[in-house]
Amino acid sequence: MADTPKKVKERKLTDYKYPIPDPDPYTSGPFWEGAKEGKLMLPRCEDCNRAHWYPRIICPFCYSRSISWFEASGEGTLYTFAVQQRAFAPGWSEEGPYVTCYIDLNEGDRMFGVLLGGADIEPWDLFKKIGSKCKIEFVKANDDVHVPFWRLAE
Amino acid sequence: MTNPSMAAAIVGAAESDEIGFALSEKGTTNTQLHIEAIANVCEQTGISPREIEGVFSAGFTPQIAEYLHIRPKYLDHTGIGGSSFELHVHHALAAIAAGVIDIALVSHGESGRSARKNQGRGTGGGGRGDPWAPGAAFSGGPYGGWGAPYNYSHAMTRHMHQWGSTKEDFAQIAVSTRDWATLNPRAVMHSKETDPNGGPITVQDVLDSRLISWPLNILDVCLVTDHGGAVLLASAERAHSFKTPPVWVAGAGESMGHWDMLEMDDFTLTSAVNSGKTAYQMAGMGPSDMELGMIYDSFTVTVGITVEALGLAPRGGFMELFEGGKAGPGGSGMPINTNGGGLSFSHSGMYGMMLLVEAYRQLSGTAEDGIHGIAGKQTSAQSAIVNGTGGSLSTTGTLILTSDQ
Repeated sequence: MADTPKKVKERKLTDYKYPIPDPDPYTSGPFWEGAKEGKLMLPRCEDCNRAHWYPRIICPFCYSRSISWFEASGEGTLYTFAVQQRAFAPGWSEEGPYVTCYIDLNEGDRMFGVLLGGADIEPWDLFKKIGSKCKIEFVKANDDVHVPFWRLAE
Repeated sequence: MTNPSMAAAIVGAAESDEIGFALSEKGTTNTQLHIEAIANVCEQTGISPREIEGVFSAGFTPQIAEYLHIRPKYLDHTGIGGSSFELHVHHALAAIAAGVIDIALVSHGESGRSARKNQGRGTGGGGRGDPWAPGAAFSGGPYGGWGAPYNYSHAMTRHMHQWGSTKEDFAQIAVSTRDWATLNPRAVMHSKETDPNGGPITVQDVLDSRLISWPLNILDVCLVTDHGGAVLLASAERAHSFKTPPVWVAGAGESMGHWDMLEMDDFTLTSAVNSGKTAYQMAGMGPSDMELGMIYDSFTVTVGITVEALGLAPRGGFMELFEGGKAGPGGSGMPINTNGGGLSFSHSGMYGMMLLVEAYRQLSGTAEDGIHGIAGKQTSAQSAIVNGTGGSLSTTGTLILTSDQ
């Protein structure tokens, strides 16, 4: 039918029920490639040697444009969290309460994500775990995108 | 570099004809709310829209100028969240001090409530822009984030961890702000007559209210309403030539720490520490000189963190300002958010305009007889600190305003 707009992009969906990140095709490729293999890849400045997050084409600390990627430990500590009672995000609204968190990476800078198993812990007990070690866990959303989640290490 | 302090004054401030929840019954638009507020402030001051030389709004500037046949010499479209309007006053001060314009309009209209009914068609000034905005693949929806509360709650958790504050401490802010709302009949939560959930509340009520994003309960969270507001600024030379008294812009500053909270450094400190410092320096005043606080209250935690960043309370010690009703009506401390705030008065999405309107009323002595002025809530304050916070504790604009003495 001539009136039907041509579908620009067809995403292959799996049974992953949450919104899937739409990675930019220019900057963050190595992260998503690493994610498929369960590795946390981080960008690091070749001049000042500092890692940064989110990925950039220029170092936000020294403004060097020499950025390379390295495999990080996939570990960090719990900086803060919240227990989302009422999910506004599509896909998450079917969930009961779930925990979102900010993780201070061992290599520096901070990531945001869902803390798997966090909602099984009473909030004030989880509160006492601020500063505790967490590990990254990648969950396959589709063939191209494996999404980073976090889990308390102990 | 000359100091622009007192180069301009706010000479009038007004709201749209109606505000709050009720409007959503019949529906309204952003434009309607802007224009009503502008018409009201023009009537109040005696300034015709044709005399307006600078138009400042959060993403609506050409539409306003076109609608009112204004041919501006200065256009400012800055839309960086709820703090935009404090930045507009700062920008207008600079433009007036530089001699580019004499009369400036800062306007806001937002049908935050009606837009829900209209399935988003009523919102303006939005737009996602770059589909691959920096960091977009690493925050928000794919990671369970959506809307505003989910992120502010992380800051409250961190504040409790870092400084030993409690949910009760934050709840006191909601109680104090509600007490002010009970003196303002235009406040959504004024009383049981204005809303079934209106009227006074207790700390226990806040703690018992529905959990939204732990540790935030619904009574820690602002309203979503329709409202419009507008203020007019004039140069020092013109400031006394209108029907209404001037309130001086003694100091102004703006800053930001991040846009996405992913990039926030210390979750218990906003850029108000910098915008406040700039404003204090410009005014030659300090925290102890402030007699009224109009502090953006998207959430109770926003207020707690902000008053600390502005030096009104020590780091981790915001509760000192609120305990025992100190910041409430008849309290022994600095009154804070005397209109009832975004928590209990009205919050359309971007609330910063209402901070300006209330600060003007208090310092011009028209809280009881200005347009929509309200009996019973006039304070004796001669100076005010106004702080807008936009985004996710991201952008801040601080103003120090003084009465005409």
